[in-house]
Order: sequence, then C-alpha cells, then structure tokens
Amino acid sequence: MASILNKISFKNFFNYYGDFNDNSYDLEEGVNIIVADNGAGKSKFFNAFLWLFYDQILDSDTKQKVNVKNAGVKILSDKAKNETPIGSRVDCGILIEYTYGTRYKYQIIKSFTATRISESITNESSWQFMINDIEVNRTELVLQRYKPVYDESEKRQIIDRLIMPAFRKYSFLQGEEVDDIIDFSKKESIEEAVENLTDIKRYEEIHELLAGFKKKAFNDLQNQMKANNADNERFDNAVKEKENIEHKLEHEQEKLQEWKDTFDAAEKEKIELDKEYANAEKRKEFDDKLKPLRKKLRDKKEEFENFLDRINNRFFDGNFAWIAFGFEDEVQKFRELNDRYIERRYEKKALKSVEENPNEYFHFLPENSPDSVSLQNMIDDEHCYVCNREAKEGTPEYQNLLKLKSRPKDKQTEQAFVKNDLKNFFGDIQINAQPFYTKFDNIEESIIKTKEKDEELKNSIEKLRKQIKSLEDDRSSILISGHDAELTAQEVISNYNGAVRRMENANGKISDIILPKISKFKKELKAVEEEIKNLNKTNDIPSGYNENYEVLNDLEEAAQNAKERVFDGMINLLEKHANIHFKNLIKNNDLSGGILKFEKNPNGSINFNYIDSNGNNVHGSSEGFQRMKKFSVVMAIISANNSEYNYPLLADAPISAFGEGFTEGFFDAIGNVFPQSIVLVKELYKREDDMKINELGKRLLKDDIVKTMYVNHVPENSEQIDLVTTQTKLK
Amino acid sequence: MNAQEFRSLILVKKPRYAKSRIPVMEAFANKGQSKSEYSQFGPLYELYIYAFRLGLKKGLKLPLPPRNLTQDFVEIGKWKRDSSLVDFLLMIIFSRSEEIGFDWNDLEDMEEKEINKVVSDIIDFIESYANGGLQYIQEEWENDNLMNSSYLFVDLMRQ
Repeated sequence: MASILNKISFKNFFNYYGDFNDNSYDLEEGVNIIVADNGAGKSKFFNAFLWLFYDQILDSDTKQKVNVKNAGVKILSDKAKNETPIGSRVDCGILIEYTYGTRYKYQIIKSFTATRISESITNESSWQFMINDIEVNRTELVLQRYKPVYDESEKRQIIDRLIMPAFRKYSFLQGEEVDDIIDFSKKESIEEAVENLTDIKRYEEIHELLAGFKKKAFNDLQNQMKANNADNERFDNAVKEKENIEHKLEHEQEKLQEWKDTFDAAEKEKIELDKEYANAEKRKEFDDKLKPLRKKLRDKKEEFENFLDRINNRFFDGNFAWIAFGFEDEVQKFRELNDRYIERRYEKKALKSVEENPNEYFHFLPENSPDSVSLQNMIDDEHCYVCNREAKEGTPEYQNLLKLKSRPKDKQTEQAFVKNDLKNFFGDIQINAQPFYTKFDNIEESIIKTKEKDEELKNSIEKLRKQIKSLEDDRSSILISGHDAELTAQEVISNYNGAVRRMENANGKISDIILPKISKFKKELKAVEEEIKNLNKTNDIPSGYNENYEVLNDLEEAAQNAKERVFDGMINLLEKHANIHFKNLIKNNDLSGGILKFEKNPNGSINFNYIDSNGNNVHGSSEGFQRMKKFSVVMAIISANNSEYNYPLLADAPISAFGEGFTEGFFDAIGNVFPQSIVLVKELYKREDDMKINELGKRLLKDDIVKTMYVNHVPENSEQIDLVTTQTKLK
Repeated sequence: MNAQEFRSLILVKKPRYAKSRIPVMEAFANKGQSKSEYSQFGPLYELYIYAFRLGLKKGLKLPLPPRNLTQDFVEIGKWKRDSSLVDFLLMIIFSRSEEIGFDWNDLEDMEEKEINKVVSDIIDFIESYANGGLQYIQEEWENDNLMNSSYLFVDLMRQ
C-alpha cells in the first residue's frame, strides 16, 4: 500500500505568511511540481518535512540542520512577527495530510506558539516559544471525519509510515544530497542498499551459524580421534599441519585487510578530489559569468548616481528649464508691460516732437510705418493709400509724404528724448530668456521622462542584481555540496595522482601477491582436511561424527556461495535497472550509446563507471553528469525492489546542476519509479513570462504525467518584512 | 545711463540671506562637496533661486533681519554665467514691477539716485521672497515633512 500526500499547508512558516488556508498545496498521485525562484520558499517548503520527521530545519545561512525549538525566530514569518503586538501570541506550524492504502487518511500538525515580549522582532530574547503537542488525526476515507489519535507511539508510527526511516534517504532529497546517498567509495553504502532490497542478511546469519557448527563438528571429531587413537602420529602431524596452514592463512588475511584499508583510504581521497576538481572548474565557469556582470552593475550604478546627482541641474539647464514651471502669467505680464512701455515711449517721443514741431503729427507713427517702398509708390502715384486721397505734387499732402519718407535721415540728428534709454535692456531680456519661457508646455513631460529614465535605470540595476544573486546562489550551492577546496589546483592534482598511485600499488599487492597466497593456502587447507578425513576412515570412530562434519562443511560452503550469488545477482539487477533509468534521464541529451558498468573492487566496494560506445571508460565528467549517474542508481534501488515502492519522492532542486535536456528526462523517470513525487524546482521559473514558467515548464504542464503544478511568487524588491510567498495553481 | 549700465547696476549686487538660514543652505546645497541624506543643489545660488521661486509662488514674503544678521554670496552676474537663467529671472522680477513700486517708463526719466533706490528695492524683493522660501524649506525640514527622494524639489515645486 502506498502513502500518498494529499495536502501540505503552512501557517506563518518562514515566508508563508498567514493561516493554513492561505498557504495550502493540494497534491496528487503522480508528479507534482512546485516552481519557485531563489528566495520564493523552495527550501522552506522542504523544511516542513524536516520538521515533520526530525524536528529540525535547515538553516539557510549556516547550511546546518538545527532543532526547531532553537530556531523559532528564524522559522516564524517576519511579517507575522512584526504584526504581533508586545504581549500577544502568534502561531506557526505545518499541516500534512496523507492517505495510506484505501482505507485511512491521516492529518498531522506540528506547531509552536510564540509570545512577543519586547521590541526587536529578530532578537531571540524578544520571544518566548512553546512547542505544541503533535496533533495527529485519522479518518476513514468513506467517512471523512477526523478523530484525534492520542497514543504517542501510534502518532510516531503514523508519521513514520508516510516514509519509513530506512527509505527516507532514497525518498527525501534535499539540494545536492543525492551525492551522499550512494557513496561508491564505501562498501557499506552499496551493501546497505542491497540489504534493504534483499533477504541477504538472512543468508549471512545462516552462513555464520553453519560456520560455527562446522567448527564444533570438527572439534568433536578431533576429540573422538584423540580418544580412539592416542598414538596415531600421522594424524597428529596432519592436524598440526592444518593448524600451521590456518595460521598462515590468518596472517595473509590480516595483511589483506591492511592493504584493503590502504586502498579504501586512497580511493576515498581520490573521490573527494574528483569532486573538488569538478567543482573548481564549475566555480570558474560561474566566476567567468559573474565578472562581466559585476562590472556592468558597477557601471550602471555609477550612471544612476550621476543621473540622480544631476536631476536638480535640470531646473537651471536651458534644455529643461524646470525652474520656469508655473511662471506663464509672469511672462505674459512682462510682454504686456513691454508693449505698453514701447507704446508709451513712442507717445512720449511723439509728444516731445510735437512740442518742438507742432505741425508734424506723423511723429505719432511708429518707425517704418508705412515702409519706404510703399511711401515711394504713394509719392510716384501722387496718392495716399492710407487715407485713399489725392496728394498732387505741390500740395501739403504731397509734402507730408516726402517728409515721412525722409524721416529716417532726420532721426540720425534726433535728440535724446529720455535720460536713461532702457529700450534694449527690456528687449534683450525678452530675447535672451527665450530658452526658459518657451518650454512651459514641455516641463511636465520632461519630468515624467526623467522619472521614466530613473525607473529604467533602477530596473536594469535590479535585473543585474538578480542575475548576479542567482548565479551566486548556484555557485555557493556548489561550494557547500562539494566541500569547498582550500587546496590550490596544483595541490589537488598532485594529491590526486598520489592517491591513484597508492590505489594501484595496493591493488597490485592484493591481486598479485596476497590473494594468490590465500588461494594457495586455502587449497592446501582443503587437501589437509581431506587427508585428515582419510586418516579418520582408517580409525574406528562412530561414523556420525564424520558425517556430521562433512555435511556441515558442505552446508557452510553452500551458504557462502548463496550469499555471494544473492549479492552479485542484486548488483546485476541494479546495474540493469540503473541503465534503464540512465537511458531515460539522458534521452534528451546529446550523450548516447554508453552504458553504466558496476565492477567489484578488491575491497568489495563497487566501481561505477560510464563506458562509452567504444568500450572506453569516460573520466572526469561534470558534477551534473556524476549526479545523473548516481540518481540512476537511487532509482534503480527503488525499482529493483521486488515489491512496489510505496513512498513519495520529496525533492528540493535536485537538478540545479543539470541542463534542460536532463530536467525533462528527470520528470519522466521519476514518474515511472515513484508512486508520487513532489519536486521543488527553480529551473522552470521565468520572471518575464505571464505564467512565470519557461517553455519546458509549459510542455510539462501539458504532460499527463504531471498532475499538479504550482508557481510560488514573492513581491519584487520588497523588504524582508514584506517578503510573503503566495502561490498560483497552474494545474 | 544706457541699458548696459542699468543691467550692470543690478548684476553687481550680492543678494543676502539671514544667518539663521545657514543650516538649510548647507544641507541642501553641497557646493560640489559632500553629500547629505537629502537631494541637493550644487551652488548656493541654485538653492537661492529655487527658494525665491517657492516664496514667490506661495506668496511667502519675509523681509531679511538687520544687515549684521545676514550674509551675502556671489553677485547675480555670476549666477550660471553665460546662460539665459539671469535674463529669465530679470523677466520675472520686472513683470512684478508694480509690486516692487516702479514704472518701466518712469525709470527712463529718473536721476541716478532714484534708479539706485529702485535697484535696491529689486534686491529687497528677491531677498524677501528667497527668505520666505528658505523659511518654508527649513520648517518642512525641521518638521520631518521632506521626503528623502531625488525628486524632493521637483515634487515640492509641483505641490
């Protein structure tokens, strides 16, 4: 019977601010995907399961697992903390519902209550925490009415049944942990997997038991012989020889163990360095991407600062002239005053002329009015076109026209008619101030454009920041998963070569010297035992002792062989399954034709290689590729199991090191292996998209294997206190 | 007196501000030096012109205290030299000639002494409104009403 998660809800749990109803994910049998960018609650989601199973959370700052009771301040939503008045309480918790088989459904709630006692919300001492009792409820599926479970051990059982502890390591993957699940350098890790999957433990027990019985049967036989034939020298010699060979064999086996340990240590070092080497390269890739981005950010920031510094310049720069804003009336007034001034100036001048020449009224006419060409026409035609009357030569009218025409010449001899001639003062102002008073209509628009430019700069800075942050996050995840190298590249290489040499040396000693010796001693031992048996026949001892020993001898050998067959059989099966999964995983990649090969090392550990289509070992592949291989084995361990695998897969970003081709294969593969999988993933997120998922996300959304899909959102550019995760259900 | 001489009469003047405004002047005009938490102008005259504009538009006319409690700074002729800014300022000032108390045409018939009085009134006019504007900024600042934004003065102008 499989456990299927139906729902997970959060209350004020990290960014999941609000009640359980506000932060609820309905889940189904099959593949469930939760898409979230960095910082949008992916790891927090996963932390709920750490709390459920182990009362722990993973502190994202220190990457350490800490007990919930010591991490209340971190777990409780900042917004909820901020909104809780001093002296009041606030709850925080997780709620999980799952179905087991066809009859029961369970609900588990883990929570704590925090009381605020002083101002600073992020300070540990500002809060009192009380862990609440675990609430476990059960309902029959037909009734749908939860009843509480009170018994503590039953509660524990119900929590464990969701994913049994022995299988959690295959079912419960956070970040790059898949690297550590199957450590091929350790004999135990593959043995443990085989143990979990087969009844090999029982063969071992039988073998041990039989070996004991065989020893006892031999002792019994020996005692009989001595009793019956104390003087049998040949027999004594044979027994002595047997003991001698046994002693030598023991010695060789001790030596074997020592060389195995040497091999183990060297192999472990080599594998550690493998990771560091791959990580060093991967890190460099990120650094190469980060460097130009950081420079771009610096430049943009500088541009933005300059831009901000210069905003106030726009008040006084004639191209913008913001200072003129609202001065339309003044400018209009100036023009009116100027017109009036000029008008009155003429009047004044005219009056002055009239005083001097009382008969020349034309002083009232502005200069050049009428213009000289028109005047010449009027003189030539002897007609005034202004008053449309005749002005025949010789008449006063004709004289007047002549006078008018020669006026500019008279002006040169004109006397100043004011003490201070300021005409040009005002005229110049009106001309020079133009850049400022011709921009009234544009100022508002120019301010809006400035703010738009501001926004544009801010956005591009923010975009760069996010790009950098995202790369830095990915980079730091490599450091943590790969035990950040303190050694220089040169040291890594020389240590790596040293470890390989030590491995080869140990392997040579074991295979060429020790194992042949052991094999030789074992043969001799067998011959001696045969000789002893023959010697016995000549003695008159009860046949039961002999038969007993012989039967037990055969049985012990059979049990040993059976154990090895089961182990080898399982390794073969795992290899077969791993290859099936591996093919699925890489089907969208360029890799093709190769296979995974399990090979036994002298120390009993499994060498796990990728052999290309030409039969060559492929070395030094990327961390992502390594992880893909390991993931194939994890899935093989599950699918090679005789019975159906009954637990959901909970995975947090297990694919961050892979390309898109692998990501697609991953979802296909887990759909075939796990009855249910819940995968939190960043790679499908696309901020610019309306649905916030990329093309691959959209393809998966349409895929039948994907049963539900959610996208998590956090508001852009928000303060920590307003950082609230909300979710959209796409499917 | 001709146009140029009259213009010079105004442009050589160094307007003054009350010493009580020194903190505002230092906070909002950095003279190309260190930055403060608020949006700033560069030279003092920029802030001064802005304050004058603010005072004028808000009708905040506040005469300066006695001369020994005031301080002068660069003469008007050196305010953003070789630009139209000073002409535009003169345009605004002369559009308010009635308020200052003179008539354009009358200017042309005045004795030098009388002209000097008008120029002195013009400077008083600038100083009083700038003082009013500065007081407004100072009060807003002291009452924490100023937004710490790069658009502080843009928004204040459009209020």
